[in-house]
Amino acid sequence: MRRWLFAAVALGVVGLGSVALRAADPEVKVIVNGLYNPCGVAIQPDTGEIFVADSANLRVIRVDKEGNVHEAITGFTKDVYGKGPMYDIGPLGLCFLSKQILVVGDGGKPDGEELLHFFRLPDDNHTLKADDHVAAFNLAASEGVLGEGNFYGLAFTAGAIYVTSNGDDTKGWIAKCAVRNDGYGPFERAIATKEAVQVDAPVAITVDSRGNLVVGQMGEINVPNDSLLSFYDPRTGKLLANYQTGLHDITALAYHPRTGRLYATDFAWLDVSQGGLFELVSERKDGKTTAVARKVLSLMKPTAMVFDPEGNLYVTVMGDAKEGENPKVGQLLKISL
Amino acid sequence: MRAFGIVIVGLLVAVMVSHAGAQHWPREVPLGLPPVPQLPDNPLTPEKVALGKQLYFDPRLSRDNTVSCASCHDPKKGWSNGEAVATGIRGQKGGRSAPPVVNAGYLRFQFWDGRAQFVEGQALGPIQNPIEMDMTLEELVERLKSIEGYRKQFQQVFGRDVQAEDVARAIGAFERTLLAGNAPYDRFKAGDTSALSEAAQRGMKLFFGKAHCSACHSGPLFTDGAFHNIGVGILKENPDLGRYEVSKLLGDRGAFRTPSLRDVARTAPYMHDGSEPTLEAVVEYYNKGGTPNPQLDEEIFPLNLTEQEKADLVTFLREGLTSEDYPVVDPPELPK
Repeated sequence: MRRWLFAAVALGVVGLGSVALRAADPEVKVIVNGLYNPCGVAIQPDTGEIFVADSANLRVIRVDKEGNVHEAITGFTKDVYGKGPMYDIGPLGLCFLSKQILVVGDGGKPDGEELLHFFRLPDDNHTLKADDHVAAFNLAASEGVLGEGNFYGLAFTAGAIYVTSNGDDTKGWIAKCAVRNDGYGPFERAIATKEAVQVDAPVAITVDSRGNLVVGQMGEINVPNDSLLSFYDPRTGKLLANYQTGLHDITALAYHPRTGRLYATDFAWLDVSQGGLFELVSERKDGKTTAVARKVLSLMKPTAMVFDPEGNLYVTVMGDAKEGENPKVGQLLKISL
Repeated sequence: MRAFGIVIVGLLVAVMVSHAGAQHWPREVPLGLPPVPQLPDNPLTPEKVALGKQLYFDPRLSRDNTVSCASCHDPKKGWSNGEAVATGIRGQKGGRSAPPVVNAGYLRFQFWDGRAQFVEGQALGPIQNPIEMDMTLEELVERLKSIEGYRKQFQQVFGRDVQAEDVARAIGAFERTLLAGNAPYDRFKAGDTSALSEAAQRGMKLFFGKAHCSACHSGPLFTDGAFHNIGVGILKENPDLGRYEVSKLLGDRGAFRTPSLRDVARTAPYMHDGSEPTLEAVVEYYNKGGTPNPQLDEEIFPLNLTEQEKADLVTFLREGLTSEDYPVVDPPELPK
């Protein structure tokens, strides 16, 4: 087994030769209970505080170092995702550009109307409303072009925020919003992932050590094992590599800041008991590099994750509320790998 | 355990066939198709394929010796049967149309509701279905054992007496050799700009754009291999619930497997219940936005295609996706 490190040293696949010791079983600690379909998580630079898109509660919360929950942004709108099971959703992806600038992807309106919000967080931490953004953009429908929405995964690289979206399933767009010293935008359709990999639904996104986009293509929710791991050059939009993972529905990707290992969460729509946290490792098979997903631990409907600089992993999970029960069983977990 | 680094330079696209551990049939596949996958426990051999071909065409696999696989999946009728639904022994009618077998070896999910996986997993289903071939597996094995030629061939191919799972393997092996590619679309994509007429080119642009077909009919087989509710038959008093009967997920209510569109012009009538007689009717159905229902796929909505656009789209489907070296297989001599 070999791990995905993107060390950028030579052509092709190169063994670095360092021996990695197998970590002990990960320690899992519940930081916050009672979330309602949490779908995004990010760590504020400098403060280290955790921000969570408490999606169906239509808010973004701030979790301080003691684990206390504070409302950071409220007043988002609600939409429903899925045809059964169905999930109420509001704000989705989160990404900090700086200590003060938080970008929030919206999932609470019809496609084409949902916004990519840029918020300036106040020094006194008073609660903002969703329309207090300093900038916001949508990808509206036009003649022959479908509107985009469900801005789930956000990643910053190459001078822009890259956003996975859901709208035109013939294209599977990753959108791009330029970040300049004097402002933001334009927000535009950038990479047609469906045309590149022939599979639907870019959802998870992160950035490797070279600045390339690393994308988890969720695939069809009623088809098992069809999630892809894909790499794109953000400057050209070109597909660099594409691997089947055997995972069902990748919702998040993240690199461990110290080991460089790549992790994925799998929601596993068809059988949520199969979901969890996985390490993606590479293997040579028949002369080709292939991806193998190695399960780290089971999680119930994991949706988003982020590492802190020390390598602690924060994961949001929806939990498993039965029909008719209190649906607010989502959690923010801290996992020590 | 070793850690390693990887660098991506240029195009390093690891295209992996969909079957885990798959090997490839040692033959050149038609233009536009990926390598033919094989299951690890069913490597293809010429002898196994020949046996599978005999079994495929042999009506003795049905209770009254009247129905073979080829009865409903007839090479001369686009490897389907040209009727709205399948017809089994004693003229019994099924509830769904007979999916074409060509290129089925690429598909993971078989049947309209995906209840079987891979062609090997599908092969014994119709044999046991009381309204199709109506045999138990025990009866099937005994009948084949009573035919000396089959007894010998099973020994040669599998090294043992007739087993039901080997019947499935042999039929699956034969079906994996039934390939249709090298259509005008494939040649056009490969650089032959004369391969598609102007109308077909306009239709192709619509297919991948305004008409939204490629949202589901994607990839080299023009199917995503998934299940979608487009509303066909859903308003009937007792509708066929399709994939829901397998998965029990509400979102799958009325969803059926996306069929491949390769050589679609050969396989009328269309839809899972054979309710649309022509490609023109199919395009009209999509153009109106399907049949509204709570689980209607988000990709189904009114398309507002003009008459010219509808005609161009049909031209692309009819001309662009029709293979010129479509496999036409004559029935073999059957063992005695």
